[in-house]
Amino acid sequence: MVSPVHIVSIGLITAFLLGLGKKSQQSILVLVLLIATAAMTMISGSWLIGIMTGSVQPTDVFTAGFKPPFAINLRMTMDEAVLTTMVNLFGFLTVIYLFDVLKNAGKHLLSIIVVFLIGLNVIVMTRDLFNLFVFLEITSIATAGLMIMIQDSKSISAGFKFLIASSVISGILLIGIIFAYSYIGNLNIDFMSNLSLIKGGSVAVFLVLSAIILESKQFPANGWALDMYESAHPAIGSALSAVSAPAVLFVIYKLMPIVPESWHSLIGLFGLITFTFSNFLATRQGNIRRMLGYSSIAQGGLMLTVVSMSTFFGNSFWFIILGFLLTNFFAKAGLFWLNGMVNSDDQNKWGVLRKRPVLFFLFGAFVVAIAGLPPFPTFFAKWEMIMQLANGNGWGWIVLILLGSIFEISFLFKWFGRVFHAEEEKINDIRTPWFKQVPVLLFGAALLATSYYFVEYLNFDVLFVMLPLLIVTVFFAIDFLPAFVKNLLLIASLTIYGYLIYPEIDGNVMQLVFMGVFLVGGILTLIPGFTQKGTRAGFYPFAAMTIFGLIMLVNPADNLTFFMGWEQMALGSYILILRGKKAERPAQQYMLFSAGGAYLMLAAFGLLLHFAGDTFFGHLNGMLPGGGVVFVLFALAFMLKAAAIGLHIWLPGAYSEAEDDATPLVSGVLINSGVLGLFWIATAFGPQQLFGYDIYQIMGWVGAITAIGGNMLAIYEEDMKRLIAYSSVGAMGYIIFALSMNSKLGLLIALYYMVLHFIYKTMLFMSAAGVIYRTKTRNMYEMGGLIKSMPWSFIVVLIGIITLAGMPPLAGFAGKWMFYNAVVMKGWYLQGTMVFFSGIVAFLYLYKLIASVFLGQLKDNHRKLKEAPFVYLLPQFIFVIAIMVLSVFPQVLLEPLATIIPDRIPGEALHWDGKLAMTSFGYWNAFSVMSVVIVMFAVIFGWLVYHSRKAQKVKQFNIVFAAERPFRPETTHVSYNMFAGYKKALGWLMTPLATRFWTGVSDWSMAIADKMRSWYTGNGQTYAMHLLLYAFVLYLLISGGKIL
Amino acid sequence: MEYLTLQNIGLVTGFLLILIGLYGALTQKNILRIIVAFTIFDAGLNLVIVALSYIKGRVAPIIDQTTGITNLSEKFVDPVPQALVLTSIVIGVGVTGVMLTFALRMFKTRQSLDINDFKETKW
Amino acid sequence: MSIDWIKLLFTLLGLFIVLNYGLLQYGMIRRITARIGKRIGMPVYQPYIDLIKNYSMRSQITHGVMFYLGPVFRLAGGVGIFMFMPLIYGSYYWSNYSFSGDVILIMYFMFFGMLGMALGASEGGHPYSFIGISRGLSQFTTVEVPFTLAVIAVAVQHHSFSLTEIVAGQQGGIMHWNIMTNPFAGIAAMLAFLGMMMASPFNVVQAPQEIPIGPPTEYHGTYLGLLQTNRAILYVSESILMVNLFFGGATNWIELIVKSFLVFFWPVFVGLVFPRFRIDQSIPWFLKLPLILGIIGIFMV
Repeated sequence: MVSPVHIVSIGLITAFLLGLGKKSQQSILVLVLLIATAAMTMISGSWLIGIMTGSVQPTDVFTAGFKPPFAINLRMTMDEAVLTTMVNLFGFLTVIYLFDVLKNAGKHLLSIIVVFLIGLNVIVMTRDLFNLFVFLEITSIATAGLMIMIQDSKSISAGFKFLIASSVISGILLIGIIFAYSYIGNLNIDFMSNLSLIKGGSVAVFLVLSAIILESKQFPANGWALDMYESAHPAIGSALSAVSAPAVLFVIYKLMPIVPESWHSLIGLFGLITFTFSNFLATRQGNIRRMLGYSSIAQGGLMLTVVSMSTFFGNSFWFIILGFLLTNFFAKAGLFWLNGMVNSDDQNKWGVLRKRPVLFFLFGAFVVAIAGLPPFPTFFAKWEMIMQLANGNGWGWIVLILLGSIFEISFLFKWFGRVFHAEEEKINDIRTPWFKQVPVLLFGAALLATSYYFVEYLNFDVLFVMLPLLIVTVFFAIDFLPAFVKNLLLIASLTIYGYLIYPEIDGNVMQLVFMGVFLVGGILTLIPGFTQKGTRAGFYPFAAMTIFGLIMLVNPADNLTFFMGWEQMALGSYILILRGKKAERPAQQYMLFSAGGAYLMLAAFGLLLHFAGDTFFGHLNGMLPGGGVVFVLFALAFMLKAAAIGLHIWLPGAYSEAEDDATPLVSGVLINSGVLGLFWIATAFGPQQLFGYDIYQIMGWVGAITAIGGNMLAIYEEDMKRLIAYSSVGAMGYIIFALSMNSKLGLLIALYYMVLHFIYKTMLFMSAAGVIYRTKTRNMYEMGGLIKSMPWSFIVVLIGIITLAGMPPLAGFAGKWMFYNAVVMKGWYLQGTMVFFSGIVAFLYLYKLIASVFLGQLKDNHRKLKEAPFVYLLPQFIFVIAIMVLSVFPQVLLEPLATIIPDRIPGEALHWDGKLAMTSFGYWNAFSVMSVVIVMFAVIFGWLVYHSRKAQKVKQFNIVFAAERPFRPETTHVSYNMFAGYKKALGWLMTPLATRFWTGVSDWSMAIADKMRSWYTGNGQTYAMHLLLYAFVLYLLISGGKIL
Repeated sequence: MEYLTLQNIGLVTGFLLILIGLYGALTQKNILRIIVAFTIFDAGLNLVIVALSYIKGRVAPIIDQTTGITNLSEKFVDPVPQALVLTSIVIGVGVTGVMLTFALRMFKTRQSLDINDFKETKW
Repeated sequence: MSIDWIKLLFTLLGLFIVLNYGLLQYGMIRRITARIGKRIGMPVYQPYIDLIKNYSMRSQITHGVMFYLGPVFRLAGGVGIFMFMPLIYGSYYWSNYSFSGDVILIMYFMFFGMLGMALGASEGGHPYSFIGISRGLSQFTTVEVPFTLAVIAVAVQHHSFSLTEIVAGQQGGIMHWNIMTNPFAGIAAMLAFLGMMMASPFNVVQAPQEIPIGPPTEYHGTYLGLLQTNRAILYVSESILMVNLFFGGATNWIELIVKSFLVFFWPVFVGLVFPRFRIDQSIPWFLKLPLILGIIGIFMV
């Protein structure tokens, strides 16, 4: 095994060699540099592999022949091997990436790169403080040299600011080192463990530590670093983020043994503050590189937290830090490199990336990885970190992490959405020479490989997690195939998956029901996709991700699987929504609210771990005393997905702006995940109190208000899809209300209605999609009279709205009937009446929906429309058949559903006497009702047919119109603002309080962020002042105002 | 009077120089003056290092006829800080050189040496 | 499932009685109204003439399938309410098909005809139909609120949603009637009943002066005949519902007819006195006094 010291020696020799070269031999010099970095990589890499496989023992290299502390020693263990490999590999790829730049630049630049790498290597490996100081300085000088690779005023002044900052920092460090030396008598970290015990020694420790912390660019003393990120060449920014920062953090890790135990958490807190606030400020950044800078700093802060609390995290430390470190390494470097390719800091210009599908995919992967969504390592690391913090009661910490994470999601996905929708620049084509692509591709691959190892390491269930992940991956790989092939494949794989999974869940009705909804829903909603031409690139992987994410929710063995499925489903559906033409903003809202919900859930999982240990939340079996907070967090998270009022504002936009044939999937199917979660907590937790209030009571009111609010909002919509979307809000309110009644009947209603809502809402959305597919508009007032050309769609909508309205004899009535019984048994008369009221309000928009679109006056431009395509109608009629069966034999569904509800839930169950459903209050016989209605209807119909057998169809305008002929269909079709009178009477109920509230939140946070970031004045001296202030505050907090 | 040892004088002077240097670096507007302030800062640092390792009555750690070769550890001051200070001086010079290079470049881009003229990256 | 043919026969007989009763009642009410307006009015048998005339009209046109089905839905809704309503307390044969469901079924069956009619009329494409329907639906939303509260109050009081049970609980004299035992709920329901009957001041739906008869504008001939048949049956059935809910039900036909006539007279009476509300007045009206009464009624139990 080559001694690690040769990493340094190779570098030094190369630097000298480069100095000897001539300008004319620049290509050869670049090659030399390439070989040198490759050799350095190989040495460190061989150590890494050796130590990993156990063939080599970690070692110390003693320079000058003496043992420490009398000489400097370099250490090579697993830690150093990982970091030096990262540094050198990165150096190697940077040389490739900068191939064109280096070829044209002077030879000094080559030397500077080598020196930079040497510096970092030694910083990582050395155990000697003064040696550390020297190489920090060398790295600083090299960094400054790299800064002026771009010779514009911005990067030069940023470089100077950096020099000022690093001078101040190195001064602090040097004083610290010299004091440490004068107390201990040597400079080796390993011999300083009792430094802080000596009087005055802790001052030395503090000085050294604070200098390194400042070097790691903690908020808010990091203006210089931000300016560097913003102005440096992307490759250099990448180096700062991907290798400099980890090296410095590693120094902190090395220093931790000499840092008194009591300081650890304070330093961790400072890191976390950096994480939260840097992400917060990044939300206001338009400039890509500066935004990436903020993000890098934020990640650095998070890693500082982990590093400083390494003893606290114990066994999980490596898992957590590697998760953050590797993700940040691969993804941030990749993003900076992409920035170099796009060559613009303007988000709008990034649209060109879409011309390179592979790069675009990697861009997405990097963004998602940094945002901490599955299956990337940060996701698991964050999970583990939260769990550990929860174990240690670190609630404030968790809040900070989650806040920071949501800001992170906010700006990352704003960026992603912009890139997804930005106009493609026709003129500036993206230049992607191979040497720029190779590093990005490699890092992308490495990121995916890392994710694979993380997933593998966690030992997930094969059938429920690994197989779905595999299928999703396959769909990414075959994305070049034509749409109908992929559609067929996805439907086939879902079917086969259902076949495979059925024996696993057979007998568990709960799982069967939800799996059925998700699988069948997934398959049926995909069928209309057969009308798509071309490849429909990017749809199927995410459709698969959404559906399989949902499936993961059904049988999670543990909380992590559930959470992973949840996040995966959120991500997949986000992309599906984002694909809509005008969906950029709605998708962003959806992502934010999804993430908000997910983080609430994450916090809840943390709390749960604290209260109940490592049990799956759905298996709590009853009481969890004092779990009110957990319950509320869970409930909020699920109600976000189910769009309870106040938390619903994302829904109409997201559902309506998604692609028309994707809407049924993201709405009708996906919304049930919220119900699944709510049902689980309702059955698992038992009644809970929060501050003495019964949570169910509150949830009941929330449900009732949601029901009214959603339906009220729907009646004023002119947009067909928004109307149906608001109707979903109403339906969810109904379900939330039913669940919170916490009685057997209530839960039964919720489940029944979940299934029913799934059926009719999917049906309605599909029918709407078919209509929109033909008419090319979503505005209902532009339609009318379509019953003539689209009778089948009309029938579907008719059945759908009768079911939704809960009119007998169709299946919806079962829900209403049970609802009355449950309300009366529970005694929630007022709330119950509110929900009932909302049900009648629903008539208004249902009528508007069907009458505006299908009845009334046919428009001239719609006279030649055809019926919706068969593939649209097919799934709809499958649903219609389902409704019909349920209408006649509701017990087919109700009886199995009733078995899901645990016995400990109070209240009376539904009794069945043959076809007669009974409670102690009432009774109802669906079969008999249906028979009576059919006979009656048939008789009257026959009577009419007999009497009007000679009736003839007349033309559209042949109506009683004050003896005039209507001018044109548009002026005769009453649809726009149909319920003006209602608005006048009850419009005040619609005051958009929720929208105002959330807009306010958004505006305020933006204003605050703007105010806060003006702290970074751009003046190097101010930045130096910040450094001193930071150190001072840190000192005060550590010492508590006393002399250390 | 017993505090007025050479070591203490060195230490106090060193810290004074550090503070003067820092003050200058934080308040001067001219880039060249800032650089000069940093050299003062460096000088102070180096003086502190030397002063800390000074032990009264001992000599520089160089073996010659006057020192003999026995009991050297009692006759010499600690040699390590001497080496450190040398390194530190060298690094200081290096950094100053780089800073001056930057000053030159900055002057070329803006025809100005006022640090307030170089604030285009902020927020 | 065996079909009880005798019961079916009785039900049809009941339906026939109610139809005739409804027609006569309508004629009589019109006549009374006219007398109050110092007119002579039409003969009591006029509805029969209208009905026969409409059913025998020859010229018939249609605007499409839904237009055709609209009246069928409407009449099926009306007949359905009748079918699911127990008429005479204690009589097996006069309980119709109430074994199929309780009062909730009846309440929701009202929507059946309404929605069908709305859809049918909409296909006619007449703007007045749309306006009438939108008004009708709007007003209906708030009408139902106090009514529902009242029904829930009664159900809670008698611990049953079954109309038979509710009537059984009111036997034994006028003091046992729900209108006496829970007057607030009763009054709330009676006020809501005004809206359900769509008589003045809540007749914005058909509002003869503004949108000549509203939804059924396009209907004529047999269609109109079906609608008239429905009106006769539906109004009587709804009155019977009120009788069952609040006025002790009936143990024989005479009692039933007297009570339901009196109940039906209440909206007529109010309608003669009060002018029509605008739609934005009538909607909130039900959320004021009737709602408050309904809430009090429910907490009285």
